[in-house]
Amino acid sequence: MSSLVPDFDVQRVLVTPWTSDATMNGWIVLMGFLVATTCGWVGQYLLLRRMALMGDALSHSILPGLAGAFLIASFLNPGTADGAGNARGATVMYLGALAAALVTTLLIHWLHTASRVKQDAAIGIVFSGLFALGVILITVFADQVDLDADCVLYGEIGTVGFTDYFQLSGRDVAPLPVARMAIVALLTFAWIQLFYKELLVSSFDPGLASSLGIRANWVHGVLMLWLSVVIVSAFESVGAILVVAMLIVPGATASLLSTSLPRIFSLIVLHAAISSLFGLHLALWLDCSIAGAMVVTGCGLFVLAWLSHVIRVRRARHASLPQDAPPGTLASPSVTPNPP
Amino acid sequence: MSTRPSYARLLPCLLVLSLLLPITALAASAGGSWEDPAGFLGRTLRFLSLRDPAVRFAVAGAALLGISCGLLGTFLVVRKLALVGDAVSHAVLPGVAAGFLWSQTKSPVAIFVGAVLAGLLGTLTVGWIRRTTRLKEDAALGLVLAGFYAVGICLVTMIQRLPTGNKSGIDKFLFGQAAAIGSGDLALMGVVTVLSILATTLAYKELLISSFDAAFARAIGLPVRLLHEALMLLLAFTIVSALQAVGVVLVSAMLITPAATAYLLTNRLHRMLILAAGLGLITGITGCFLSFLGNNLPTGPLIVVSATFLFGLAFLFSPQQGVVVRWARRRARRHRVARENTLKTLYHVLESRSFHGDDVSLGELAQRRRETLEDAAREAQALVRHRLARLHPDGQSLILTEAGRQRASELVRNHRLWELYLTHAADISADHVHEDAEKIEHVLGEEVVRKLELRLNYADTDPHGRRIPVPRAASRPNPEPGASRDPLPPAAP
Amino acid sequence: MTPAPPPAPPLEIHDLTVAYDRRPVLWGIDVVVPAGKLVGIIGPNGAGKSTLIKVCMGLVPPASGWVKLFGDPLERAHRRVGYVPQRESVDWDFPVNVMDVVLMGRYGKLGWFRRPRREDREAARASLDKVGMLPYANRQIANLSGGQQQRVFLARALAQDSDLYFMDEPFAGVDAATEAAIITLLHELRDRGKTILVVHHDLPTARNYFDLLMLINMRLVGFGPTDQMFTTELLQKTYGGRLTILSEVAEAVREKGYP
Repeated sequence: MSSLVPDFDVQRVLVTPWTSDATMNGWIVLMGFLVATTCGWVGQYLLLRRMALMGDALSHSILPGLAGAFLIASFLNPGTADGAGNARGATVMYLGALAAALVTTLLIHWLHTASRVKQDAAIGIVFSGLFALGVILITVFADQVDLDADCVLYGEIGTVGFTDYFQLSGRDVAPLPVARMAIVALLTFAWIQLFYKELLVSSFDPGLASSLGIRANWVHGVLMLWLSVVIVSAFESVGAILVVAMLIVPGATASLLSTSLPRIFSLIVLHAAISSLFGLHLALWLDCSIAGAMVVTGCGLFVLAWLSHVIRVRRARHASLPQDAPPGTLASPSVTPNPP
Repeated sequence: MSTRPSYARLLPCLLVLSLLLPITALAASAGGSWEDPAGFLGRTLRFLSLRDPAVRFAVAGAALLGISCGLLGTFLVVRKLALVGDAVSHAVLPGVAAGFLWSQTKSPVAIFVGAVLAGLLGTLTVGWIRRTTRLKEDAALGLVLAGFYAVGICLVTMIQRLPTGNKSGIDKFLFGQAAAIGSGDLALMGVVTVLSILATTLAYKELLISSFDAAFARAIGLPVRLLHEALMLLLAFTIVSALQAVGVVLVSAMLITPAATAYLLTNRLHRMLILAAGLGLITGITGCFLSFLGNNLPTGPLIVVSATFLFGLAFLFSPQQGVVVRWARRRARRHRVARENTLKTLYHVLESRSFHGDDVSLGELAQRRRETLEDAAREAQALVRHRLARLHPDGQSLILTEAGRQRASELVRNHRLWELYLTHAADISADHVHEDAEKIEHVLGEEVVRKLELRLNYADTDPHGRRIPVPRAASRPNPEPGASRDPLPPAAP
Repeated sequence: MTPAPPPAPPLEIHDLTVAYDRRPVLWGIDVVVPAGKLVGIIGPNGAGKSTLIKVCMGLVPPASGWVKLFGDPLERAHRRVGYVPQRESVDWDFPVNVMDVVLMGRYGKLGWFRRPRREDREAARASLDKVGMLPYANRQIANLSGGQQQRVFLARALAQDSDLYFMDEPFAGVDAATEAAIITLLHELRDRGKTILVVHHDLPTARNYFDLLMLINMRLVGFGPTDQMFTTELLQKTYGGRLTILSEVAEAVREKGYP
């Protein structure tokens, strides 16, 4: 057991990461922060729409989309589409993910509107069926598809290639994945700023939204497509299942601490920063998966918020309902029945 | 109506047949055995004879899992807890890792205990989050799913660093490996399956009532919460025993998909349970078979794909719920209404010349209905096909048959009765009732017509002063199949 | 069949206060309902009518005070109490038919693990017949009209064969014929010595339907014979605007956590 949890070596856990390995760890923390923030923002809308598990569904059903896209790419020009590293690979990936998201969303919608199967069951059927299909595609066409189901599921932020740099006017700006994630994060931010009220109204009250001329269906569709973009950008660093955590945990934590949407969005940023920084150190200490440790840290923050929420509620309830009757002015004179 | 149940009983067999053929072909071609039919046949026979011990274990395991997952999944689907299975299956990961750590080997018992405890803790946490915060069900499920899973991932990566960890094969729990099922795993699945069969038969009525109407169940003194926790415990058992075969990610499909298929095929819970277990069994075996055919294809995904395929068939072709079936029914109804409108026009033409002569020319029909001659000819053909009218030898005019005449006068009577009823009983002015009657005339059953006639004192003219025809009620041949079966039940009294 | 009239009243509520999410919805209810009466629970929307019977059935915990049924706490009186929940409270797509739902009324008396026997089926058929739904016994419940669904719920309550019934809005969204059938049935039950509490929100019909009225607006405004309750003053108190202060205070309690 003792070999499982290494000693807490201050030098190894806290000092070296920011002296000799500073660049690498800096990029890791930045990447984690960008992923968590972007996912948290988009996920907050999923929470508001009570469809947090659509994130789960999409993150799994993207697999056949990716497999199919790689298959088609290798079919069109054999020998060039080799993985996610180059630009062509990235385009193929995004196209496959968008197609998968579109198919998933439409299928789920169709299943639960055209039959009595409820939405949750429809989600479960569609994503698991598509995921299984994806696994089979990858196994059957292992030669043509440079994709590994394990890598889609797990992902690991430490193994993301931070060597290829995104260059701007001849200077290295940031590693490619980080740059890509930063662009997605910026676009997400801009998108939320631009369509803040449309998203809010259509999440809160689709009926009101349509009476105001906002097409709730379109907003939903765009949200789902954007969700798939965010998931694809994130999954190589955190894996499909941990993306679900990144989508839900920051928003859930923030909504326990505040009820105002703008404040929730800032709390999500704070949550992302804390969980990615502390997560890195936790992973260095325990020598385990960095993405996993970041999510575990995020969950720890959630538990703290949850406890403080429970304590607050308990205290308030204790104060508000004394055991004796309410004030006399409000109490009713009891009327005894007269049997007729 | 009376033919439906037997149809419903036949359906699963049909579904399986139609499933086996295309998928077998696909898997066989993927596995490379298609070019060699003898090999394909030989492999099939070898599979069916269950000579390989690995095949025996895999088939037995998949069949047992199919049954227990089908039974429990039924309750998940009707209780709208479909995604709880997904959450629990991810939440057991830290338990699996902890069980492995505790025993330092891949001992099924230690892993089982650890995983069940983790799964149960997961469902309890969902309950706690729901009760103590404003977070909704989906958020609570997602939090538990992802949070527990993250802890599990950390533990697994830590274990893999240990000297004993490399050989652990713990990552196999993600996708499962049906071929590696051992006798210990099989015994576990057997116990779990027997437990779920016992629980669902013995406590059937308690589970039924607490699923259908929890408030009522509590009101008659049933411990609804306890029942729920017991169901969750059984669910954790099932999921953990399924991990070896299909893995964390796909076990939720084995829970939901067969049960949802059954949900589309039947209207009674006990039939749904049996059907779901049967579908689980069949898809389990099919998955094994396909995996055996196509050499190195993984079993779990194949089971799930077969189950999803069956669901798709049920979704499209279920006798009552099927999308295609309902579309065909709607189309048949639309066509019947169109034919009946033509009939009515013919009646109006005949009426306008006080029923002198039987034949109505297509030109007259087209003019009345404000349409082209081609359309009128097509409508005439439809009437002829249904033996409601026949064409005059010259091909240019229509003559109503006895049945056509009967149905036409019924329709006109329905229309005018309804108009009269609306103006009399509902005080709607005479110039507003026509549109409504145009629709109602097609759905009025004889029983309602009798009531209307009684209510209107057998009046013989409608609000516009036209005569209400009296079809010969004595000889009422079925004008056409399906016409007397009303698409809507008669309105409640 | 019916035991000798019990000495304890069917329903006794003492100083009952109920809160949802810290917000009090019922304050200090004190009431004793005599046996063999049809009682209407009347009040405006949000007055806590449904909450009151949910507390009596143990579905909502009281913040303070207690409820006794036939002199016993609920746990010991389950078998003598029947319940008709609101129609929207269940999923009507559930895979059961009409007969299955009515048989549920017998489950409480059957006890654990025992299957319904022939006499239970007979009782269920008799109850269905009483509400005029026997021809629909094999229908799936989704294929029923609103009024028919309500009749099925009522048949289930009849099959329970209880001495005290709580019914939550049995007249909501039903057609006139069903409403008349239900009220006839309720009078018949009452004449057989049963006690029935009905949540109702239509004031004009309440006058003809019930023996006793319980006027509720977050507190008990009045309880007594129907004609004595139909006074301008009491109705004003129940439906009038002055009482909004109570809900304002309740809101303040929720926000500030202080009475």
